[in-house]
Amino acid sequence: MNTALRKKLQSMFDDLKMTTSEGAEAIIAVPKEALLAVLSFLKSQGYEHLGLVSCVDWIEQEAFELVYILSAYLQEDHEHGDRERGNIIVKTRIPRKSPQFITVIPVFQNAEPYERELHELFGIHFEGHPRLTPLFLERDYHIPPFRKDFDTREYVKEVFDSIPPVEKPKD
Amino acid sequence: MEALSDDGHTEPGQSARELELYFGPQHLGMVGNFSITLKVEGDRIMEAAANPGYLHRGFEKLMELRTWIQNFPMVCRINVVEPDSMEMIYSMAVEKLAGIEVPERAHYIRSIYLEMARVGSHLFGLWAYANMLGFDTVAQWAMYHRDLMLDLFEELTGGRVYHIYIWPGGVRRDFPEGFTDKLVTTLHTIGGCVPDYDAAFFENRLFYERAKGIGTVTRQEAKEMGATGQVLRATGMEYDIRKVEPYAAYDRVPWAVPTREDGDAYSRIWVVRDEMIESVHMIFKLLDAMPQGEVYHRIPNPFKWEIAPGEAYVRCESSRGELGLYLVSNGQEKPYRVHFRTPSYPHGLTVLEKALQNASIADVGNIMISLYVVAPEIDR
Repeated sequence: MNTALRKKLQSMFDDLKMTTSEGAEAIIAVPKEALLAVLSFLKSQGYEHLGLVSCVDWIEQEAFELVYILSAYLQEDHEHGDRERGNIIVKTRIPRKSPQFITVIPVFQNAEPYERELHELFGIHFEGHPRLTPLFLERDYHIPPFRKDFDTREYVKEVFDSIPPVEKPKD
Repeated sequence: MEALSDDGHTEPGQSARELELYFGPQHLGMVGNFSITLKVEGDRIMEAAANPGYLHRGFEKLMELRTWIQNFPMVCRINVVEPDSMEMIYSMAVEKLAGIEVPERAHYIRSIYLEMARVGSHLFGLWAYANMLGFDTVAQWAMYHRDLMLDLFEELTGGRVYHIYIWPGGVRRDFPEGFTDKLVTTLHTIGGCVPDYDAAFFENRLFYERAKGIGTVTRQEAKEMGATGQVLRATGMEYDIRKVEPYAAYDRVPWAVPTREDGDAYSRIWVVRDEMIESVHMIFKLLDAMPQGEVYHRIPNPFKWEIAPGEAYVRCESSRGELGLYLVSNGQEKPYRVHFRTPSYPHGLTVLEKALQNASIADVGNIMISLYVVAPEIDR
């Protein structure tokens, strides 16, 4: 991301925290109310490819961090005279106690399976999502399994240790 | 139930004539552990819902419990067909987070190795596709040629399917003596069979009739659905991560991105064919330009290796499209969060559901394999 676009973004939205790591890449932390607007602005600026929607469980800070990674199909940016456009990581935090957020499908259609996955694995409810049905799992879990307080080893012990053997050993 | 129309044909929108059909995972036309729930009217598919999860092993969660280096055996099992780009992406992410440099010769070796993997993976894909369409002879050729590639991998790394050859800081060892000659000979053997492949498969009238105009995706649709790789390149878009964000030694030699215009199954498989040939040419160029030197920079003691807090997103071009990895460290000796962006994920879930609409039941396997979906990549 170049400086012209960065300035434009900062003048349009308040409370953006931008970090630029090496090269053209940028990391932007936005307040959750502004996320949809930031995403659609970046899309209009050529960052049309939503690569990934992810989530990080920051359990000590009691927050889920939703991560949207954008990149451009066309590398040349004629408007801003840029030759290379790296990935942009857009992040926002939602409270862990009430994991509710809005869907970004109106802006990026391909977010559908990603949000469905996050709903299943982290228990985040995306408002406006057309089908938040299970994607991978078939068992019921008390805690969504990708949260940090889900203990994999304990779960395995609990579930698979209690299955009786097919045939009882003879005395 | 609604009555049949006079001529006995079904009319669209007659709900009573709709039937739910489960396609896979045991269906013969389905390659891999994956299934699709189809709503059909007669022979025509009204709606398709992809149903993954048969191979969900929770690798991303399990990786949070293991050290940076212990994760390698799991990383390569995410894509069974082409584990090498998985090793590459994980090494790239770890190198980026820890700030490790890679020697120049290792960049070249990585590129050659990844292109070998691409050829092997495409041959395997060709096997699946030819087999599905009933071109058994072509399928056997492809499997044999893939086996020749596996022999090379065995000599280079000790493993046939899973190699764990790329490592943070370089590659595990240099090419053994005489390996380059064997590689060149094998590639010439495979390349010499391209006219046979063309005559029996790619330019075969039967294949053309079967694949032309099937599963068409326009460029706009492909972009909106997050498609990459062959699916996007078959619509005429020159989008390849090796060109967009060059890694390893891909910017050191000239090479072209093969594309096609029509966006159907036929175009996609032709992109695969051209890509395979381009890869072979690229390996020859890389071998010529490869410098001498060391292949490995030492990393800290893996048992006590703590990586400073941070996050990284890296991308590479696997044989199926854009492969990404979002890796977060919180300063411990284990990753805090791992999330793979696999190319089959949008292809197998979003694009497949769209491409199957209005297709006939006989073309389901055809469309699915032409989208180059590999199930373990979706589930992870």
